[in-house]
Amino acid sequence: MSSELIIAWIYASPLSTAIRDMFWVVPTVQSVHIVAIAVIFGAAVISDLRLAGVFATDEPMGGVVRRYYPWMRAALIVLLLSGLVMVIGEPDRVLVNTTFWLKMFLVVAVFTLTWLVRRPLLRTVDPASSDDEKPPIRVLAWLSIVLWCVVIFCGRWIAY
Amino acid sequence: MDIQSILQALEDTTVAARIRESGSIFPNLESVHVIGIALVFGTIAVVDLRLLGIASHRRSALRLIQELLPYTWVAFAACVVTGLLMFASNATTYAQNSVFWWKMGLLLLAGLNMAIFHLGAYRRIDEWDTILPPPGQARVAGFCSLALWACVIGLGRWIGFV
Repeated sequence: MSSELIIAWIYASPLSTAIRDMFWVVPTVQSVHIVAIAVIFGAAVISDLRLAGVFATDEPMGGVVRRYYPWMRAALIVLLLSGLVMVIGEPDRVLVNTTFWLKMFLVVAVFTLTWLVRRPLLRTVDPASSDDEKPPIRVLAWLSIVLWCVVIFCGRWIAY
Repeated sequence: MDIQSILQALEDTTVAARIRESGSIFPNLESVHVIGIALVFGTIAVVDLRLLGIASHRRSALRLIQELLPYTWVAFAACVVTGLLMFASNATTYAQNSVFWWKMGLLLLAGLNMAIFHLGAYRRIDEWDTILPPPGQARVAGFCSLALWACVIGLGRWIGFV
């Protein structure tokens, strides 16, 4: 099945038609999407700045990461679901958009990075464990903040 | 000079014309606006949830507020600058958009809520700094702030749909 057929099939589905017909669905879902962006980006910046050694350095790294990571995971689920509604509503516009696919690639990349950097800290519950920021972690934390900003730019540019 | 001619003058400035005529400036302003919103709401939500009694990365409410507020203000300033530039590019049209004015009204209420908190419960913060949950007045401020800012975001998105 070619991609055009898939797009045409999604477009003609009752769900896609319903999303387009109810004028309030898209702006409401987009508002939910932005609130979830705020949660994931806020939690990412706070915990990444702690990992980079510039924020709340008197608090143990593991404690800060464990506090914010569940919020990032929950926000990611909300973002994927609200994003899916937008894709189903306008598959003919979104699924052929290069910026959309770049954004999807970057989301996978930055969340994998987020998870890999935090995984060792999420596992240890020992507050006395060695806690100083090692140089690669610092660089990766800054990289993750930059990548989230690029993701937000891509998201806005999909519309153009 | 009446309001209409002020708006028209704003729209006729070189900066406003540049934004209108360029294909890339407006979406870039929007992107920076969204990053600013994400930091404003993200950092404020951490404080608001703490005011509601949900523990944050540190126990002291005062230190949490002092540590996050600079980020909130810088991000808010970025939102104001990008917002003003977007408004200028089509001032007369935005001025006729009722959702835009609802958003401005709710922003004012969010500011008022913050002022009430700072003049009230915040002055006695040393009495409840490390206590969970905080007193009722602080919890009301936290709840109103979360609700108002979420509505500001929602209305902001709706501006483009009316």
